[in-house]
Amino acid sequence: MVDSDESKDGEVAEELADARRARSDSRIEFYGGPAASTIPIGLFILWAIVQSGLFRIGDTTGLVAGMLLSLIVGMFFAKGDWKTYANTIFEGMTQKVAATAIVAWLWAGMFADTIQAGGFVGGLVWAADFLSVGAALFPAITFVLAALLATGIGTGYGTTIAFTGLFFPAGILIGANPVLLFGAILSGAVFGDNLAPVSDTTIVSAVTQDADIGGVVASRFKYAIVAAVLAFAGYLVAGSMMSGIEVSGSADVLAGQATALGLVHLASIGVVIFTAVRGRHIVEAISWGIIVAAASNLAFGLASVGDMVLFRAPDNVALAESLSWLPFLTTVPAGSDQVGVGGSIYAGAAGFFPLIVLTLLIVAGARIMIRGGGFEAIQDFLLERVATNVRRAETTMVLGTASVNAMITINTAAEIAIAPYVARIGERYNINGYRRANILDANTSALGYIFPWAGGVLVGYAEMRTLVGAENFEWFTNEMLVNPVEVWPFVFHGWLLFGVFIVSALTGFGLEYVSDRESEEVARV
Amino acid sequence: MSLLEKYLAGVGFRTNTPAFEPGEEISAFVTGYDGDTPVARIGDTVLRVEGAPADAVDARARLKIESFDATDHTGTATYLERVGESAF
Repeated sequence: MVDSDESKDGEVAEELADARRARSDSRIEFYGGPAASTIPIGLFILWAIVQSGLFRIGDTTGLVAGMLLSLIVGMFFAKGDWKTYANTIFEGMTQKVAATAIVAWLWAGMFADTIQAGGFVGGLVWAADFLSVGAALFPAITFVLAALLATGIGTGYGTTIAFTGLFFPAGILIGANPVLLFGAILSGAVFGDNLAPVSDTTIVSAVTQDADIGGVVASRFKYAIVAAVLAFAGYLVAGSMMSGIEVSGSADVLAGQATALGLVHLASIGVVIFTAVRGRHIVEAISWGIIVAAASNLAFGLASVGDMVLFRAPDNVALAESLSWLPFLTTVPAGSDQVGVGGSIYAGAAGFFPLIVLTLLIVAGARIMIRGGGFEAIQDFLLERVATNVRRAETTMVLGTASVNAMITINTAAEIAIAPYVARIGERYNINGYRRANILDANTSALGYIFPWAGGVLVGYAEMRTLVGAENFEWFTNEMLVNPVEVWPFVFHGWLLFGVFIVSALTGFGLEYVSDRESEEVARV
Repeated sequence: MSLLEKYLAGVGFRTNTPAFEPGEEISAFVTGYDGDTPVARIGDTVLRVEGAPADAVDARARLKIESFDATDHTGTATYLERVGESAF
């Protein structure tokens, strides 16, 4: 017995040692040298530019298909046994970077959808109605309210859709300039995407730079607020200079959508930000936010249990019929496509599934580039020729992140692709993880909402088009649409945030070194 | 660190050549080699690291500053222990 146990232990130890050796030694040789190891990521970037930049298709699952095909093409360039190449895909996917981002996204998604189910947008509408601002002030107030929503729900795209559907037509009726208004909405989206602890880009920036999310949010406040104050002033000035369109026939778009109580979710958002910045684990911080949001929804009648979690069972199941008095259970016609599970908890988490799969595949592709030597070749070129001192290194990080994000519509995907370079170049100058995360995220957020092919601009434009001829919007005509190519100069917060980081990189504003302070425990992402 | 300190950390303009005091212990990445000697480059300040193991580069270590020349921003430090890894 003892002998067989020992031999089993020996086998296990050997297997573990084999796996360790495979992880540490398995360099992949490519036909065409290390450059060929960039094929999976390179092809993917090309696919992303064609799909999202040229064809303007902002479909994350489409990028998943592109990354899968790129991984297959890359395999044909690998020398020898393709097993090593295949194993590297697994190795990449099991990295902690991907796992931590995925966990945080799932929680963030549940939180965001739960405060939206609880009428948070309605609360902001009420605030705008209550302030009853005129045409000149409307874009500036829209910027602030959109920034608030985006900071709460963490998704700039969701904010753009919600605000383009409500505040955009409301502002036009008041007489605000449409182009400026759309720019203000996109600016608010940039602000929240950059600052919110539940934002997908914030989460990626923190976990890829070995920093805790709460600390990252606190440390980027100084940059965000400088840009936001200037952007607010910009919308005030431009609002009084740019005129609106005469609209015949009027309706109060915002009335009927206003729910003053929806503002209670400012407390839910406050709980997440406060607990995260206090250094609690992001899973814990967002869980508290979800609990406060759900309790507020029920206490104030903002949303029912069924709005948050709902089983829709087929009506031919006797047990479901007899239990259908339960608040989270309902019956629907058997065989219909309504059968399933729903609610904000379900939809919020499910909304991230395509991005999760894409992230796993991109980090797998990046791993192949690392194992094949392509990553090192590009890194050495940058460090030896471009990023030759700390100021130039930071400028390279800012411009590199900005240009990759300007090319790839879906900014989270672009951020994941550039993150390893920001990490390595920054580490070679001992630039603090918080600073690296801030450079990475600010320029990702900013550039994702400026150019005509940017995802944020496209979702806003798509939403705007649904207003033409819609019920209650008979007055809304094609002439009121803002062409995506017109809006880029007016996304003030985006440009200013980018500008703040260029100035910071050149002057050392906000710069911290690894030796200045350490991130909280890495586990505390 | 208090909440306020977390928000205010890094406000101001930081030099590209940070200075260190002999005897001070810091945590920093060992960033490469100068000839055969491992170095830790912090901004544009370069510390030559003594007693570093062969796999020290691109990992974070606790270093003790032995000497520092503030005019040419160079110094020497002793490698104490490995305390962290590269993010990638």
